[in-house]
Amino acid sequence: MSSLLQRLGWQGALSLTVILIAFGLALVAPWAAPFPDQGAGAPSIASKFLPPSADHFLGTDHLGRDMLSRVIYGARVSLTSGLLIVAFALLVGLPVGVLAGYFGGWLDEGLMRLTDVFLAFPALLLAVLMAAALGPGLLNSIVAVAVTWWPWYARMARAEVLALRGQPYVEAAQLMGVSHPRIILRHVLPAAVRPISVQAALDVGPALLTASALSFLGLGVSPPIADWGQMVDAGRKFFPERWWYSAAPGIAVFVLALAFSILGDALRDRAGGRRDGSA
Amino acid sequence: MALLEIRALSVDLPVPNGAIHALRRVDLTVTRGTIHGLIGESGCGKTMTAMALLGLLPRGAQIKADRFAFDGMDLRDVAESLRGRRIALISQDPAAALNPVLTIRRQIDDVLRAHHALPKVARHARAVELLAATGLPDPERVLRSYPHQLSGGMQQRVVIAQALATGADLLIADEPTTALDVTIGAQVLALLRNLVQARGLTILMITHDMDVVAEVCDSATILYAGTSIEDGPVAEVLTHPRHPYTRALLAALPDAAPRGAKLAAIEGQIPPPFKPIAGCAFAPRCAVARAECALRPPPERLDGAHRWTCLVEGGLDDKTAA
Amino acid sequence: MTKPLLEVRDLVVRYGSNGPFRTQLRPAVSGVSLSLAPGETLGVVGESGSGKSSLLRAILRLVPSESGAVLLDGQDWLALSPRELRHARQAIGVVAQNPFLSLSPRMTISEILAEPLLARGDRAGAAMQERSAQLLLRCGLPADFLPRRASALSGGQAQRVAIARALALDPRLLVLDEPTSALDISVQAQILNLLSDLKAESGLSMLFVTHNLKVVAHISDHLVVMRNGEVLEQGPTTELLTAPRHDYTRQLFGFGLRAQAVAV
Repeated sequence: MSSLLQRLGWQGALSLTVILIAFGLALVAPWAAPFPDQGAGAPSIASKFLPPSADHFLGTDHLGRDMLSRVIYGARVSLTSGLLIVAFALLVGLPVGVLAGYFGGWLDEGLMRLTDVFLAFPALLLAVLMAAALGPGLLNSIVAVAVTWWPWYARMARAEVLALRGQPYVEAAQLMGVSHPRIILRHVLPAAVRPISVQAALDVGPALLTASALSFLGLGVSPPIADWGQMVDAGRKFFPERWWYSAAPGIAVFVLALAFSILGDALRDRAGGRRDGSA
Repeated sequence: MALLEIRALSVDLPVPNGAIHALRRVDLTVTRGTIHGLIGESGCGKTMTAMALLGLLPRGAQIKADRFAFDGMDLRDVAESLRGRRIALISQDPAAALNPVLTIRRQIDDVLRAHHALPKVARHARAVELLAATGLPDPERVLRSYPHQLSGGMQQRVVIAQALATGADLLIADEPTTALDVTIGAQVLALLRNLVQARGLTILMITHDMDVVAEVCDSATILYAGTSIEDGPVAEVLTHPRHPYTRALLAALPDAAPRGAKLAAIEGQIPPPFKPIAGCAFAPRCAVARAECALRPPPERLDGAHRWTCLVEGGLDDKTAA
Repeated sequence: MTKPLLEVRDLVVRYGSNGPFRTQLRPAVSGVSLSLAPGETLGVVGESGSGKSSLLRAILRLVPSESGAVLLDGQDWLALSPRELRHARQAIGVVAQNPFLSLSPRMTISEILAEPLLARGDRAGAAMQERSAQLLLRCGLPADFLPRRASALSGGQAQRVAIARALALDPRLLVLDEPTSALDISVQAQILNLLSDLKAESGLSMLFVTHNLKVVAHISDHLVVMRNGEVLEQGPTTELLTAPRHDYTRQLFGFGLRAQAVAV
C-alpha cells in the first residue's frame, strides 16, 4: 500500500484520500450527518436560512435543513451516478469496441458508424434530450448520460484491441487454433484493461459533473432527495445573500470531480510507458 | 602509433544495494589508420565501452583505468569535449540518427557550421564533396532530400558523411550494417574500408558478426562479461584463436560444423553483471578450465601481437601480468 | 517420389489492391511454387522485401492470397472455411522470431504450454501438467520452469519454450520464422542443435524462413532463395552451396566484399 501511495505521488494520494472519505461519508451518512433526518429530507422550518455557525457548520437551507447533512447525503447520489454512468458506458462501449477492433471488416464499419452517430451530437444536449424524454429520476439521468458516454469507450477499446491484435502472442494463439472468445478473454482483454480503467477513473469526475448538471436543470433526482446539482439550483434563487446554500454543494462537486481527475492522471502516469509486454 | 590506448578500464554503475559491473577489465589498443573490431555477444560491454569513449556514461558511473588515453589525452577529462569533434559515432539505425523533418542539406550544414568557420558557398561545396566521398550519386539531389526519401543504405552513407563533416579522426561504428540488407551492408563496409585508406581515418567497429570482422577489420578485441579476453590481428584471432571462449564462439557459428552436424554450443549463461568475479569470467562455462581458474585472474599471454588471458592456454612468449 | 507434405503452387499475394480507387501494387509474392517432402527441412532465404514473410503469412493464412494453391497433405488449405481452419491449424506448429513477443507476458510457462492443449479440447489437470513438463524436457528445460513467466527467462530459454509450445500438438509441420535472429551466436547454436535433434528423433518436417543463409543452410535439405517476390533459385542445399547459379545467392552466403570494393 505504501508503495502504491509512493507511486501515485502526493497529489494522487491526496485525491485518493478525498475520494475514500467521500465514499466513507456516503456509506455511513445516517451516522456521519449531524442531522440525519434533515439530510434525508425532513424540513425544520424554524431554523431556515441560518448562516454557518457552530451548530450548523455550513448553515441551513430554505426549509431549515442542515446543509452539512444535506451535502453528506448528496454524496450518495453524486458518487452513485458518477460510478454508474461510467459502469453502464463501459458495459456497452467495451464489447462494441472490442468486437469492432478484433473482427474488423463490415462489423467494424457498422459499429463505428453507429458510434459516430452518437458522437456527432453535443454530449450535454443529447443527455438533456434523453433525460427529458425518460423523465426525472436518478436511474433515468444515469442512463441519459451513459448514452452519451459509451461511444468514447467503444473507440478507445477498439484502438487498444487493434494494436493488441497484431501482437505476435495474439497471432500465436490464433495459429494454435484457440477459439476467438478465448483469445479475446484470455489474450487481448487483460492487456487492454489497464489503459481503459485509467480512462474510466478519469471519467468519473466529468460523469458526476454531468449528472449534477442534469439535476441543476431539473432533470435529475427529485426533491426531497439531496443532490448537489439540484441544491446548487435551489440556492441560486437566494444568491448572493444566502451564499452558503449554493456554495456548499458547489464546492463539494468541484472537489470530488477534481479528485477523480487528479487520481486518473496519477494512475495514467503510473501506467505510462509500460502498456503492453513488460507489464 | 596507437590512437586509442586503454588499460584496465572498469566501469561500475551504482544501483540500490550494490553496483552493476558494466566493464570489469578492458584493455584496448587501436592503431591509427586501421579498423579495429570490438566483438562480443549481448551484455559483453561493447556498447558500454563506446559510451565511455564518447563520454556518454550514465550519471554516477565510476570509471577506473590504469590508462584511458586518446591521442595522448586522458579521456576521463576530455571525452565530452572530443565527442563530435575528434570522435564521432555511426549508429546502428541510420533512420533514427537523422531528423525526419529536416533536409539532408540542413543536417550536414549544421555539423559543418559547428566545426568550421566557412562561408556558406564553401560549406555547400564541402557537403557535396563529403556526400560524393561516401559514394552517393548525385549529391546535389541528396542534399535537397528528406531522410525518408532515401533508402537505408543511402541514409547510412549520409550518416557517415555527417561523421566525416565533424573532421573526427576516430569513428565508432556501432553495428553499422545490422539494419541493412546483406548486399547493401557489404557496400557500406567497403566504403568504410576505402575511407580508412583514403583519409587516414581510424574506425572502432562494434559488432557481433564474425563475417563483418573477417571482411573489414585489421585487428580485433573479443569481450566477454565486460572483460577483454583476447586481441590481435584478425588473421590471428579468427583463424588461430587461443582463448577458449573465442574458440567456442567461432565453433558455434553455423558454418563451423558440417551441414546437419551438431554445433559446438556454449552451455550455461553469462555471469550476472552485479556478481563480482575473482578469477576468469569464462571459467564456469569453459571446457578446459581447472579449479584454479575461478580463484585468481588469468595471466596475460603474448604471441607476437596476439594477446589473450588464460591460465590454461599458454603462448610462445609466456609472461605473467600483474 | 514421395507425396509432398506441403505444396505451394503459383502463389500470388498482393496488399492493398482492394477497392476501385487503389492502384494495383506490385505483388509481394508473385507466382511462388515450392514443395516440402515429409521429414525434410526446407529453408526459405531472402532479405527484407524479398517476399519471404508474405509467403509465410499467406501459407499460414494470416494474409489472403490472390491466386495459387497451398496444399497440406494433399488438402486444399486455402479452401478451408474459418471454422475448419481453426482445427486444421493444429497440424502446424509455428515459432516466431522474438519469443518475448510471441509468448504472452501475462501467462506462466505452464499456462502458455497448456493453451494449445486446451484449444484442442484436452482437460486441464495433472495429465496436462505432465505433458507440459515433458514438452519442456524435450526442449532442454527442467520442469521447474513451469511456474515462471517468459520475462524471467533468457532469450534462448524463452525460444525453447516457444518451440515446446509449437510441438505441443504433435504437428505434422513445424514453421520457423527467423527463430534465431534475435539470439546471440552461442544461443543460436543451442537452438539449431535442438532443432537438429527434434528432426532426428521424430522425423519432424520443417519450413525454416530466414534472412541468414548460413543458418538455414546448416539445417535444411532444400533451399529456396527469394528476391523481389519471386523464387530466384531453388534446389538441394548441397547443390546451391557448391554451385549457386546466381551471384546474389553467392553474396547472401558470404559478403564477396573484396570483389565489390573495387566498384565503390
